[in-house]
Amino acid sequence: MASADKLINTYVPEKDVFALHFLQSLSNLRTQNPLNSPDKSIDRVRKIKKAAYVSMARAAGGTSRLWSRALLRRAAKDDNKSVRFSRRKRKVTWKISSKRKRSNQRAPVVEEAAERLRNLVPGGGGMETSKLMEETAHYIKCLSMQVKVMQCLVDGLSPK
Amino acid sequence: MDLSEKDEFSAEKRNPDSYDLVSNPSGDWRVSGSNPIDSYPSENLISAGPASCSPSQMMDSFGQTLWYDPTSVQAVGYGGFNVQNNGGNASSSSFRGNIDRSLEMGWNLPNLLPPKGNGLFLPNANSFLPPSMAQFPADSGFIERAARFSLFSGGNFSDMVNQPLGNPESIGLFLQGGGTMQGQCQSNELNVGEPHNDVSTAVKDPTVRSTEQAKPNVPGSGNVSEDTQSSGGNGRKGRETSSNTKKRKRNGQNSEAAQSHRSQQSEEEPDNNGDKKRNSEQSPNSPGNKTNSGKQQGKQSSDPPKDGYIHVRARRGQATNSHSLAERVRREKISERMKFLQDLVPGCNKVTGKAVMLDEIINYVQSLQRQVEFLSMKLATVNPQMEFNLEGLLAKDALQLRAGSSSTTTPFPPNMAMAYPPLPHGFMQQTLSSIGRTISSPLSSMNGGFKRQVCIGGL
Repeated sequence: MASADKLINTYVPEKDVFALHFLQSLSNLRTQNPLNSPDKSIDRVRKIKKAAYVSMARAAGGTSRLWSRALLRRAAKDDNKSVRFSRRKRKVTWKISSKRKRSNQRAPVVEEAAERLRNLVPGGGGMETSKLMEETAHYIKCLSMQVKVMQCLVDGLSPK
Repeated sequence: MDLSEKDEFSAEKRNPDSYDLVSNPSGDWRVSGSNPIDSYPSENLISAGPASCSPSQMMDSFGQTLWYDPTSVQAVGYGGFNVQNNGGNASSSSFRGNIDRSLEMGWNLPNLLPPKGNGLFLPNANSFLPPSMAQFPADSGFIERAARFSLFSGGNFSDMVNQPLGNPESIGLFLQGGGTMQGQCQSNELNVGEPHNDVSTAVKDPTVRSTEQAKPNVPGSGNVSEDTQSSGGNGRKGRETSSNTKKRKRNGQNSEAAQSHRSQQSEEEPDNNGDKKRNSEQSPNSPGNKTNSGKQQGKQSSDPPKDGYIHVRARRGQATNSHSLAERVRREKISERMKFLQDLVPGCNKVTGKAVMLDEIINYVQSLQRQVEFLSMKLATVNPQMEFNLEGLLAKDALQLRAGSSSTTTPFPPNMAMAYPPLPHGFMQQTLSSIGRTISSPLSSMNGGFKRQVCIGGL
């Protein structure tokens, strides 16, 4: 389905962008708690994970993708920070999934899978199924990129 | 395979009712109409033809004169054209396209032609067309008549036969443009499926249309629209009967107007003549939605959005309810995206079926997320102090990143030896500037963005 690439925009930046963002967020992690280092490993893990996701969202396109926006907003809410959204023409998608259940013509198989997907992909709650799949595609790409970056990092940091 | 079917068809003289073809018009039409364009010439007619009758029987039943008349009439225009001619008229390749498109119509007639001297006559893909077929019915009138032969067993044959042929120049036009042919065929089909009482009016259409066609530009698109518009003069407009037309994949040859004409039309709405452009989402709410009325239209996905709408055409045998149309559009979008996802997710190529694939996708996303979590745990353990030094990390990992999977064989530059000194925040900027200087050229591209990124706020 090569033609689909032209229709669906799933451009993902290079690995370096992801790496950059990630490292930057990691370094900022440290500066967050300069004095009291969180001893619990769980907190550390959580922070790193969050940093990973946020940096991924940033690298993937900031607020121009639905899932990244939702991700950033989610993260910002936890930190009581506000995310700055760029002014752009936003298409308000009010097609909430509950509304769609009225018509049983929507393939139930697809829909139930879409529900599961919505739980996974950030920001999937308010999306139409077709839009959801677009976002999933982009999300998958970005996730795999982020995984690669993190793997590189771990390999680099791990003691030889 | 098609070939086997063909062999069957010619070899065994089936003895079905000779009027099977006639009495089962819709089935044939439907069968032939529902196939995609690439399989049209081969599959449609094969499936339709053998099911009904043998060619010789058909010929007998219809009266051979009927067959010959149109051909003889057309012989004027075609010059020595003869349906029965086994001698192999020179087939113009240009006609192949025309013929194929006419064959797309589910035109059973080629099946009815007696087997030639060379044995097997069957309309098929381009290569299979017998030479005489090549000059076959580029004419709208003939096509229509031919279609009617199969559809109606009534007494209209004489009417059809006696109908004067269209202008010779229209024939000439057909000779020129395949697109014209296509358009003509389609507009002809509009009338073909019409009910019985509309035969006369419809029959006149080709002549009207052909005259109209003579004037405007030959290559396809304009003709079709004019066809439909000209046919609008009749009581039952040709456009309105598009509900009976078959699906034709137009390769962008037809104008938008024509498409919009045919989009979502039902038989009961002749009053939609003026409404040229119609959104697919707002189809005219035909009260009696015939789900299996043989309506057939094709989706135009390559439509230049002049009016911003996506024109959708109901396929054959499907409801033209606005809901169902929109539903179909949506389903197609979803399946298209699923195909795209299939390429992304590794190992999904063998999997077929939406459900399984969706499960695969979900599993993949979950696994990726788990991987992220796992790696972050690993990072936390590897670097317990959480002292992520940009400089060191960059130096070390950038090499890995650049070099792909190759190991870090290049030695560190000496001034990078201070790999992991804890740096207070104030030194961040200095570090970065130093990095900017010391990092080797391959990483210079990162620096530009690097400094820029620093200014951005934190988490």
